[in-house]
Amino acid sequence: MTYTKHTPLDFALLGGPPMLDKLLPVGQLYFPSWDRYDAAMRGIFERQYYTNHGPLAQQFEARLADFFQVKHAICVTNGTLGLIMAVKALGLQGRVIVPAMTSIACAQALTWAGVQPVFCDADPDTYQMSLEHVHMLLEREAGICAILGVNLWGGSCDPQALERLAERFGVEVYFDSAHAFACTIAGHPLGRFGRLEVFSFHQSNLLSTTEGGCITTNDDALAARLRNIRSSYGAGPAVEVPLTSNGRFSEAQAAIGLLNLESCAEALSNNRASFEQYQLLLQAIPGIELLTARGVEQTNYQHLVCEIDETLFGMSRDALLAVLKAENIDAQRLYYPGIHRSAPYVDECATALPQTDRLCGRLIQLPIGALASTEKIAQIGAVIAAAQRHAGALATSNKAVL
Amino acid sequence: MRKKQTASDLALLGGAPVFDEVRSTSNLVRPDIEQFLAYSKMFFDQHRYTHDGPLVEIMEQRLAEFHGTPFCIAFCSGFWALVLTMKCLALAGKNEVVMPSFTYRRMADLAAWVGLTPHYCEIDATSLAMTAELAAACIGPRTALLMGVHPIVNTCDVEGLERLSAQSGIPLLFDSVESTYETYRGKKIGAFGRAECFSMHASKLVNGFEAGYVTTRDPELAAQLRRMREFGFVAPDHVETLGMNAKLNEIHAAMALAGLDDLEQQVSRNRLRYRAYQQAFAAIPGVRLLEFDERERTSYKTIVVELNADWPLSRATTLSLLHAEKILARPYYSPPLHHKKTSYPTIFADLPITDALAERFMLMPCGHFVTEDDIAQLAELMRFIGAHAAQIEKGVL
Repeated sequence: MTYTKHTPLDFALLGGPPMLDKLLPVGQLYFPSWDRYDAAMRGIFERQYYTNHGPLAQQFEARLADFFQVKHAICVTNGTLGLIMAVKALGLQGRVIVPAMTSIACAQALTWAGVQPVFCDADPDTYQMSLEHVHMLLEREAGICAILGVNLWGGSCDPQALERLAERFGVEVYFDSAHAFACTIAGHPLGRFGRLEVFSFHQSNLLSTTEGGCITTNDDALAARLRNIRSSYGAGPAVEVPLTSNGRFSEAQAAIGLLNLESCAEALSNNRASFEQYQLLLQAIPGIELLTARGVEQTNYQHLVCEIDETLFGMSRDALLAVLKAENIDAQRLYYPGIHRSAPYVDECATALPQTDRLCGRLIQLPIGALASTEKIAQIGAVIAAAQRHAGALATSNKAVL
Repeated sequence: MRKKQTASDLALLGGAPVFDEVRSTSNLVRPDIEQFLAYSKMFFDQHRYTHDGPLVEIMEQRLAEFHGTPFCIAFCSGFWALVLTMKCLALAGKNEVVMPSFTYRRMADLAAWVGLTPHYCEIDATSLAMTAELAAACIGPRTALLMGVHPIVNTCDVEGLERLSAQSGIPLLFDSVESTYETYRGKKIGAFGRAECFSMHASKLVNGFEAGYVTTRDPELAAQLRRMREFGFVAPDHVETLGMNAKLNEIHAAMALAGLDDLEQQVSRNRLRYRAYQQAFAAIPGVRLLEFDERERTSYKTIVVELNADWPLSRATTLSLLHAEKILARPYYSPPLHHKKTSYPTIFADLPITDALAERFMLMPCGHFVTEDDIAQLAELMRFIGAHAAQIEKGVL
């Protein structure tokens, strides 16, 4: 079967039939089979233990600690709450360096926990946070107490280099590793860098518990504080913390996590195959470049990110986005327009972040994961190739749309 | 029941416990598994596990109807539902929130997450809740918010607090976690004040694993809360306000829906348990069962007793005795918040009624695991403890 759009009018944007019948999202969306779900839930109903650090949550935490090769894996309601709790457990006060090109959750977590973000730019080569800029901020800015390193898109921001910088300047360093499950550096999975790392098990990531996350650390005292901030159940011994919350992880979340952990290698190899398929499909198309994960030995391929060169491709990233959405391909911009240009931070942030601004205008995320079958990826590739071929005609036939 | 003959038969003093399995104060009601799975199938078939999934939407509609309010917004927990609603409602430029001291142990921390200073209010000895008159005494130029907290049994002074809010211009938020099913003067809890917050933690009336929600009549507040639970997005790539991730996942919503299907039957079962308590605890010297106001709708869920002056032992000793028997009775909101050390400032005057009542109330086992026979045994045990107090004191010391 071929999926060619022969003329501009074949595009859904201009009235043709959409390539896909149903909207295809970008997230990973791995989930157990119905039978396994059914059995796991019946188990919970039999035990009648629903939350408050139940047997499945304990088991999942133990499995995760093994997987990450760390002493403590502390499961939380979601990754954002993990990031909020981290600030309180670390006792941070003052300003924290965080990239502007990442999920706004990173900055919001700082705000909720009472510290101020200082935004750093992206690196022009790796597209991860710029260590050079972090260095500059540490030298120039007053009141910096920590660096929140972010490992984006199955790559890493070079946590070891950030650890060295943090040590040199006497500040704390911890990581948002929401995208980094199963990624490795120096033969080990990410999870043991800085004071702690926060992972997300949101449905969009490789390991999903629908919503969820965990905090990894080798620091016993820090782990005790995190457990106390999360809630009194499963907290172990009571230790003094500035504030408590509800960051609990239910048995239902744990059940999904345990099942998805079992089939994680399978999901990862599916991701790899999809990535390789995209590579073949996109390599011949001028003006679109598929990014490879940087700063890791092994990636989880969970984010399929491409950069659009408008001149070579013939249309802008946003124009391509409109074309794809009309075809029921729910491609996304990545962190557009950057946290430094979003409320409420835009009012306080006068700094120009040229790389972030440039990339926020050029990057596009395409579907990869449980729902992006070989056939659908072939269809996506065909739409992109046709869009590039017909870029000029598409632009003239519908200037208003594009 | 293993008959207790002498004080030494008490488990704390070396005897065998009354129960083999723990009897707790957590509701832990189990909905019908098939119903839960049928709901689950809906999100499963659509591959939507969170993020505006089908079940959260159905649950919100259903709860809005249940409470008779136009809007219901679901959250990952009652805790974050309260934090976000406090953040929305607190008057700008002011920083105090009036709340009872005799309440949920994390209530002050909730306020601290949004930078508000708790101003602890006295309670009324009969309702165990804050009244408008008592709250009015705590209002000052820095008051940003009134927290009307419903007590565990029956409701607080809704009308008085609404009047106080209207007169003072200070927004009123209800913590209605313990009053999901209740009515106030015949009208469903949920439509009072600027908003009301509820929890569907497994221990609450409706078990949603972990979950919470807010009801309100205010469309703008509803829209703002919806944005804030999802990072403040108003449109793709467009954040307009500080938010976070406080979304409820679809599995928890499926659980809550199955729980709602069973709600009327659950209340009937709770009523039977309550009647058993009424009967069995009617004539235990020194023990008073807090009565539900049956002129209103009530869930009959949580059972509270008062140990009054005729009860010969301290509450702490009584609780130790019960715990040894595998009866996980719990102290009612103890210690009161003004006795707790916090990392943030708090404000309070003398709270003599709170102090006087702080050591008197206990939550008794209730909910899904407790049978009428258990309740008869509990009463017999309490009577035995009361009658053998002198020997117990000697044994414990």
